[in-house]
Amino acid sequence: MSIVIEVNNVGISFKRNRKRNFSVRELILQQKNTSPKGEFWALRNINFKVNEGEAVGLMGANGQGKSTLLRIIAGVLIPDEGTATIQGGVAPLIELTGGLKSDLTARDNIYLVAGLHGLSKTEVKKRFNNIVEFAEVGDFLDTPVRHFSSGMKIRLGFSIVTSIDEPIILVDEALAVGDAAFKEKCYIRMKDLLNQGKTLFLVSHKEKDLKEFCTRGLYLKQGSLAVDGTLSEALNAYHQDSGVFDD
Amino acid sequence: MGKFGALRILIYRDLQIRYAGTWLGYLWTLLDPLAMAFIYWLVFTQIIGAKNIGEQPYILFLLTGILSWTWFNGSVTDSARSLVVESKMVRSISIPRYLWIIKSIGAKGTEFLLAFPILIIITFITQASVNLEIFWIIFAIILQFLLLSGIGLILAPLTVLARDTSNLLRILLRMMFYLTPIIYGISDIPERFQILSYFNPMTGIISMYRAGFWAEPNLITAVIFSTIISLAVFVVGVTFFKRIEKTVLKEV
Repeated sequence: MSIVIEVNNVGISFKRNRKRNFSVRELILQQKNTSPKGEFWALRNINFKVNEGEAVGLMGANGQGKSTLLRIIAGVLIPDEGTATIQGGVAPLIELTGGLKSDLTARDNIYLVAGLHGLSKTEVKKRFNNIVEFAEVGDFLDTPVRHFSSGMKIRLGFSIVTSIDEPIILVDEALAVGDAAFKEKCYIRMKDLLNQGKTLFLVSHKEKDLKEFCTRGLYLKQGSLAVDGTLSEALNAYHQDSGVFDD
Repeated sequence: MGKFGALRILIYRDLQIRYAGTWLGYLWTLLDPLAMAFIYWLVFTQIIGAKNIGEQPYILFLLTGILSWTWFNGSVTDSARSLVVESKMVRSISIPRYLWIIKSIGAKGTEFLLAFPILIIITFITQASVNLEIFWIIFAIILQFLLLSGIGLILAPLTVLARDTSNLLRILLRMMFYLTPIIYGISDIPERFQILSYFNPMTGIISMYRAGFWAEPNLITAVIFSTIISLAVFVVGVTFFKRIEKTVLKEV
């Protein structure tokens, strides 16, 4: 079996007093900050490999670096130390509606988002009906997305990204979206994708989701990998630390 | 899919958004610079009565400058904000980050090229003569693209780190519009300041756009200056962007 994700000694640091908006005045005058200075390592010395076809669940309390790690694997963050090597393309279910442009119609958005994820026009055409049908937006194909409800947008985003047919699927909590009926469809689609031999990397709090799909578990604690083992090993460690057994 | 494919899609998308929901669509690309040129023509030749400004026909002279300035102005403004405006996509789609900057310049550049028919029409209407030096335009376009890429690669990260970069930029661009030979020619500048205006890379670039219509006195000097400066800006931009990309991605 071939290795598709190889994370090698990855570390990434952030500024502690991480303010979103600096102003030029602050940059020039270098005002004294009251918050503690310096950097902190959100992730450090992370090592693991994922084989083709594996379903890996990444868990940890809030702020332990789960999403940061997922973004590094997705290639939208660059680590300060180490490397994350990915073989083949990824379908990132991150910020599902972020790629949609509100002024464009659903039709245009399908071509846009699928195209940016690497599908050619003919490939999109082939999948077009499937995407529309799955997202249940058939009656609104030529409506600008800004008129869509948030549920419709998220269905459309989910449908596009799960249709792009990349070998690795990255999921940030949004394994199933929308109402109960649509969630069921999402589960079925995920199962399908796994059965096709795709690799799944899932970040989640939900024990139900993790148990449903994953066989291997990674547990992040304070920026380092505390457990890399079977799903139940990781879940046990996670529960022991949090003292809560949810779901 | 290659980077070029993603770039093409992004440029197409920008143009789609630009024209989505408008009645006149493409006509705005023509009306915008025409209206600008008309108002400057009105103010300078009819109200102030400056008969010796620029070259004749003045409306054509204005258009050559205004068209390339519109590309410059639009690209600098858009590319500087591109990483902020597209932050959600930057955070979720892994394409080379510089493409967000290049696509802004490409989209505005496409509009610039689409506006060229006005130049041709006005040339015919005013029966202006054109010579072979018109081919300088090709070099001007390449050079302007490199210059804009360099500027965008510097400004986009800065705008992520300090949002008020765009406020500052708005003022600077307005000042630069009047300091660049757009509504006047290089020869209208007092001689002792002419050398200074060559340090503005847009001076040489606009001279190249005009070279086929009017004899530019110091064309080669202007071209050399603007080539060196544009290439330098491009190299600085690429180096700076590479170095700061990591930091910027954390803040986007």
